[in-house]
Amino acid sequence: MCTACGIPAAPGVWTEAGAASAGDRLRARARQVRHLDRILRRHGLTVAEGGTVPGFQLARLTGEVVLVPDLPAVWAEAARMLGRPVDPLAAPYV
Amino acid sequence: MSDGRLPLTLLGGALGSGKTTWARHQLYDGAFGAGLHVLVNEAAEVPVDDQLLVRAEGVTVLAGGCVCCTGQQALRAALRDLCDRRSRGAGPNRVLLETSGLADPGAIAANLRSDPILARHLRLDGILVAIDAVHALTQLAEEPLIHRQIAVADRLILTKVDVANPADLQRLQVGLGLRNPAAKIEGSQHGVTVALPSTPRDFPASLPASPNPPDPAVAAVLQLPADLDWAETMVWLSALLHARGDRVVRVKGVIPSAEGRLLVQSVRGVVEPPELLPPQPRDGDGRLVFLGRGFSETALEQSLRSFLDLPDAESSGCSEQEDGIAV
Repeated sequence: MCTACGIPAAPGVWTEAGAASAGDRLRARARQVRHLDRILRRHGLTVAEGGTVPGFQLARLTGEVVLVPDLPAVWAEAARMLGRPVDPLAAPYV
Repeated sequence: MSDGRLPLTLLGGALGSGKTTWARHQLYDGAFGAGLHVLVNEAAEVPVDDQLLVRAEGVTVLAGGCVCCTGQQALRAALRDLCDRRSRGAGPNRVLLETSGLADPGAIAANLRSDPILARHLRLDGILVAIDAVHALTQLAEEPLIHRQIAVADRLILTKVDVANPADLQRLQVGLGLRNPAAKIEGSQHGVTVALPSTPRDFPASLPASPNPPDPAVAAVLQLPADLDWAETMVWLSALLHARGDRVVRVKGVIPSAEGRLLVQSVRGVVEPPELLPPQPRDGDGRLVFLGRGFSETALEQSLRSFLDLPDAESSGCSEQEDGIAV
């Protein structure tokens, strides 16, 4: 764990698995950010790359920005901001 | 693939299902290798099972509370002690936790994963559940806990197969396969692994439902689209488990990735770091098994596609899935 930013918060976050190289990891992160941003814009939130730390920037349209370390943390923080979880098994997804 | 963490195997099952008999024989056979430490949890104050497990390198008894609830702190303390000893070079190579018959192994797995120290030092290597082939049909009709134990198992060990009614045994074999398609089912007689009889494909196999369940348990198999990227699958699956982790009791499957074949498995929304499997592709690759309540195969597929903005199955050439099996 980095003593400055606290990332990664836990060992071997499962959503980080699967990349064989640094390039794979960057491409995977870019694809994930694209999906997250598209999904969460519908709920009034935006997602961008973490910038200098390996996380995601989750923002409200009001300007509040929270840095989160991984995908599970994105959904937990989004639920906090929205007051309810983003549920893929509920409308408008099913 | 080893990541340096201490492998922990959970052995659960109802009271009297033959857990200790099975463990004792497996220890005798050396099935767990050298350096095994056994933790025995007995809900009663007076332990007896530890007397039977003398072949283990070390045995710790956690008596007087079930480790999935009241005895949780004692379990954490015992495991932290083992991890600490291992860090100093004197600890075990593997831990087997035999739970009490009252324990929910899924709750134990979730508790351990939420512990910041144990999450870094322990790797859940598998959940084994012993099923009493003589009494299981009655227990299933009367005891909701056994349904939860079955749902989270990686291996279901049918015990006492030598004295079980052959028709009941076949019903259990097929019914358990439908209830938890991700689990391997094996037979045992006095702790010795034995082959199970073959069963006809059309064998009537419905198992008794859980008493007063909120809604039916479902086992659903989702075939991931061949062109779906693993990183995108993680976006959907992580959202699903965050929102529905209490209802999606178990997820297990192999996801092809850039690094190789990833074995992904979760218990009640808690996901272990995926294991990288040998590179040879197998038939079940790209298929995820979901066990729980409140979803169907159709809903899962629709959710995946709309969440990730994928084209419909028909236009992308995917075969149509049948709906989940109510079990």
